Amino acid sequence: MVFRLDPITRRKLRRFRSLRRGWWSFLALAALLVLAAFAELLVNSRALVVRYQGHTYFPTYTAFHPGTDFGESYTYEADYRRLQARFRRAGRGDWVLLPVVPYNPYENSFAAGVYPPARPSLAERHFLGTDTTGRDVLARLFYGFRIAMIFSLLYLALVYLVGISIGCLMGYFGGGFDLAAQRIVEIWSNMPFLYIVIIVASILTPNLGLLLGIVVLFSWTGMTYYMRTATYKEKARDYVAAAEVLGAGSGRVIFSHILPNAISTIVTFIPFTVNDALTALTALDFLGFGLPPPTPSWGELLHQGTANLDAPWIVASTFAALVIVLSLVTFIGESIREAFDAKKFTIYE
Amino acid sequence: MPRNSRFMNRTLISIHAVLLLATVGGCHKQAGEAVRDIGPEATAYYQAHPDFFHFATPADLPADLVWHDGHDVPEFAAPEAKRGGTLHGWIDDFPRTLRFYGPDSAGTFRSFILDDWALGLLGRQPNTGQYVPSLARAWAYGKDRCTMYFRLDPDARYCDGVPVRADDYLFAFFIFSSRYIHDPFTNNYIAKTFRSVTKYDDLTIAITAQEPKPDIEDRLALGPVPEHFYRELGDDYPERYQWRLEPTTGPYTVKSEDVHKGSSIDLTRVPHWWADDKPFFRHRFNVDRIHLEVIRDTNKAFESFKRGDVDLFSLREPQYWYDKLPDGDPLVQRGCIAKAVFYNQVPCITYGFYVNTAQPLLDHRDIREGIAYAANFDLVDQRYFHGDYVRMQTSSDGYALVPFPGIHPRPFSTDQALVSFARAGFTKRGPDGILVNGQGQRLSFTVTSYHDTLRDVLTILRQEAAKAGLELNIEILDGTTGAKKIMEKHHQIAFMAFQPSGARYPDYWQMFDSANADKPQTNNITNTVDPALDRLIAAYDRAQTMDEIRRLAYQMEVRIRDDAAFIPAYKLPFFRVGYWRWIKFPREFATRESDDGGVELAGVMGDGLFWIDQDARPAVLAARDSGPTLAPEIKVYDQWKAK
Repeated sequence: MVFRLDPITRRKLRRFRSLRRGWWSFLALAALLVLAAFAELLVNSRALVVRYQGHTYFPTYTAFHPGTDFGESYTYEADYRRLQARFRRAGRGDWVLLPVVPYNPYENSFAAGVYPPARPSLAERHFLGTDTTGRDVLARLFYGFRIAMIFSLLYLALVYLVGISIGCLMGYFGGGFDLAAQRIVEIWSNMPFLYIVIIVASILTPNLGLLLGIVVLFSWTGMTYYMRTATYKEKARDYVAAAEVLGAGSGRVIFSHILPNAISTIVTFIPFTVNDALTALTALDFLGFGLPPPTPSWGELLHQGTANLDAPWIVASTFAALVIVLSLVTFIGESIREAFDAKKFTIYE
Repeated sequence: MPRNSRFMNRTLISIHAVLLLATVGGCHKQAGEAVRDIGPEATAYYQAHPDFFHFATPADLPADLVWHDGHDVPEFAAPEAKRGGTLHGWIDDFPRTLRFYGPDSAGTFRSFILDDWALGLLGRQPNTGQYVPSLARAWAYGKDRCTMYFRLDPDARYCDGVPVRADDYLFAFFIFSSRYIHDPFTNNYIAKTFRSVTKYDDLTIAITAQEPKPDIEDRLALGPVPEHFYRELGDDYPERYQWRLEPTTGPYTVKSEDVHKGSSIDLTRVPHWWADDKPFFRHRFNVDRIHLEVIRDTNKAFESFKRGDVDLFSLREPQYWYDKLPDGDPLVQRGCIAKAVFYNQVPCITYGFYVNTAQPLLDHRDIREGIAYAANFDLVDQRYFHGDYVRMQTSSDGYALVPFPGIHPRPFSTDQALVSFARAGFTKRGPDGILVNGQGQRLSFTVTSYHDTLRDVLTILRQEAAKAGLELNIEILDGTTGAKKIMEKHHQIAFMAFQPSGARYPDYWQMFDSANADKPQTNNITNTVDPALDRLIAAYDRAQTMDEIRRLAYQMEVRIRDDAAFIPAYKLPFFRVGYWRWIKFPREFATRESDDGGVELAGVMGDGLFWIDQDARPAVLAARDSGPTLAPEIKVYDQWKAK
C-alpha cells in the first residue's frame, strides 16, 4: 500500500522541519541509528583490517579466524589486541587496525592488578570503564542501544499493525462488533501486564521474539480507541459514501480511503510509543525478567550500577545514555505533535 | 539448592539439633481453654509399641557401664565476657511460624530458636570435637555399639521452670512419630534411625539406634520435648501452635509480646537460666536481649549497619569487604567498625556444575570431561572473587574427619578440553568457533541456575568455554521454576549447590546412588548410574568405623572425579564480618566449626562467645562523630586455616 503525500501532510512535514529542536533531535537519533547499524565497525574486539605476511584480512563480518591463522598458538578466536601489540613489537610490517573501542560487549577483560569494575581509562580504551565482570560499559551501552531500538521499532510496527487494524474495523463496522470488541479491549487492557511478563519470563527464558510477543500482546489495546474514533469520524464523510457507492469492498474502503486520512492522529503517538517500548524493556531487564544474560542491555547495566554505587561510572553512563535517548525521542514527539496539530491545518468545508 | 533438598537438609540439621542441642522455649502460659490432653494417647502409644518404648528399673542397667562426663575437656568461652546489653541484628524475612515441625518450619529463623541454641543430651566442644555434658551430665556406651545411656542433669529445666525428665524423651519419640506434626520426613527419619528408648528412672534413659555408626552420639543425643506444652496436640497442630514457641532448655526464648509480625522479633535471655554456671555454658550467651529487625533488602541492611543501627554484618561477599566497606573507609579508619576474617573448618556448600548424564551427548564421558576442562572456575575465583574463593576440590570438601588428599579437579585447559571433545567426535570448529561433529551437531549446552547471584559468574564461564569450542547458554530461572526443572531432571547442566547435612561425614547415597537416578524429586541430579559406585555406597552406609568410612569415601571421590558428572566450582575457606567496636569477641574470635550462618549471622551468634561492652560505646560513637579516633582493627584469625 503506497500513501501518496497530500499537500496538507507535506505542509505538516515542512512545519516539522522548521521546528529546530525536534528536527535536530531527529537528525541526531537517525545518526545514532546509522552508527548502531554498523556497530561492528566501531565497537568490536575483531580488527577492521589485519595485514599479516603479505595477506590482508577483514575479519569483521566473516567467520572467525583462529589464532593459528596469525601465527598464535591457540585455536580459538584470535585476540586482535594482543596481536596488534605483538606485530608492533616484531616490527615486520604486519599490522592490525582495531575499531575505536576494541572490545565486544561480551568479553571479560581483566586488566592486571585491577578487579572489576575498573574505572574509565583512555590507555585501556575503556572509555566508560568496565562493569562488574570486566566488560566494557561503552560496548554494552552501544549494543544495548541497538537491541533496544530494534525492539522498539518492531514493537511499534506490531502494535500499530494490530491496533490500527482492529481499531479501524471497530469504527467502520460499529454496532454489535464494536460493542463486543470494546468489551474485549477493556478486559484485555486490565490484565496486569507486568506480572504476566514476569511470570512468563520466570518460567521460560525469553528471547527477543518471545519478549516482544508478550509485550505486544498486552499493548495493542491502547491504539484501538484512537483509530476507532478517527474511523467513526471519517466514515461519516461523503468520500467514504462515494467509495461505497462505487462498489469498493470494506477492505478497500478502510485501508485505501479511510486510513490515509485517519493516520495523522496516530503519527503523533509514534515517538511516545518508542519511548514506552524503551522504558518497558529497560524496566524488565532492570528487574531481571528481560532478555537472558549475557545480552547487553541498559536495564541490566542500571541494575549493576545501582547495586554498585561505589563504581559510579556504570550508573552515570547508563543514566546519561537513557536520558539523552529518551529526551531525543520526546523532543521529536513534541515537534511532531505540534507540526501535526489539527487546529492549525484542519480545513472545514 | 532445590527447595525439597533444602527442606530435607534443614530437617536433618534440625533433628540433629534437637538431638544434639535442643529447644528454645516460649514460656507464655496458654489460657486454659477446653480440656484437651494428649497424655493418655501418648501412654497408650507407648503400650502399643512395647518393642520401642521400654520401661525398666535402675537395677536393669548393665553393671559394667563406663560413665563419661567430659571433665577433661577444655572450656572455650572467654572468662572476661560481660553479661548484659541488647544486640541489634536483622533478618531478611519474618518467620512464617514459630513451630519446629510441620509446614514452613524449615525457614532460616529456626536457627535462632532451635538449631543454634536449644540443648541436646550432649554438646560438642567445637574446637576439639569432644563431647561434653549438656542436658545429660554423664553418658555411657552400650556393648552393642548401638545404645547409649544418659544420666540427665537434675538441674535441667525448661524456661517455664518445669524440670526435664525421662518422660520427655518418651514423649519426644511419640511426637516425632506422630502424624499430628504433619512432617513425614521427621516421621520417616525417626523410624529409620532409632530402634528403642528405655526409661530406667526419672533421670536415667537409654536410646538405641538401628545400626552402629561412628557418629552415634550425634544421632542419639537428642533434645527433650515438653509434654506439658503439647497437651493440646491434635490434627490442628499447624494452626494451633503456629505462633507458640516450645519452652526451651537453652538460653534464649521469645516472649509473645516481642513478636511484632512483619517488622521485628526479640529474643530474651531466660532469667536464672539453669545452665548459667555449668562448665561449657558459663561466660557464653552474654547478651540479655537480641533484637532482630526485618530488613528485606541487603543493601538497606548494610546502610543500617553503617549507621550503627545493626551491630554486626556479614562481609562474606567480596563487594562488601573490598568495595562497600574497604579498609580505608572512615568508619574503619576511625576505629568504629572492626573487620575480621576467620578461617573455619566446616563442610562446604557444594557449588558446581551438575551435568545431567541422562541427556544426549552429556551421556558421553569424554564430553563431560571436556566440559570440566573448559570450565574456568580458576579465573572466576582469581579475578572475579578477588582470589578469596578457592577451587572446590571434591564433592565433599571440609569434613575434618574425612579428608581427600591428592584428589583435585581438572584445571582449565583449552587444549585438554579439545582433546576430550575430539574423542567424542567434535573435531571441527564452526564459523563462530563452536565445535561441530560429523553430523553437524553443535557443542552447545544450557546451564540452568536459579541463583541470580550466579549470573555474573556464568557470563565469565561462557566466554571462557567458547575458547574451547563449547557454547554454554545461560538460563537463570526463578527459584521455584528452576528447582522444579532440576529436580525433575530436565536440565542439561545445573549450576547450584547443596547444603551439607550437618553430619560429620558426607552422604553419597542421595546424590550418587542409582536408586535415585532418573527419578524426579531426588538429589541425584546428575543421574549417575554406576554399579561400582552403588556397591561402594552400600558398603559406606554400612560402615561402622571412621577408618572404613574414610577409605570408602576416598574410593568414591576418585570415581566421581573420573566420571566428571560433578564439576566442583569454588568454596570460601573463611567467613568474615564487620562489627561495631562495642561488640567484643574472645581472643580466638570464634570456634573451629563456626560459620557466619549467612546474612543473619546466626552462626556467629550460635556459640554465644561475644559480649557487649557498654563502657566502650560512648568512645566509639564519639569517634564516629569526629571526636578522637580509635586505633583501626582489621584482623585475620587463621589458627584453623588448612595448612
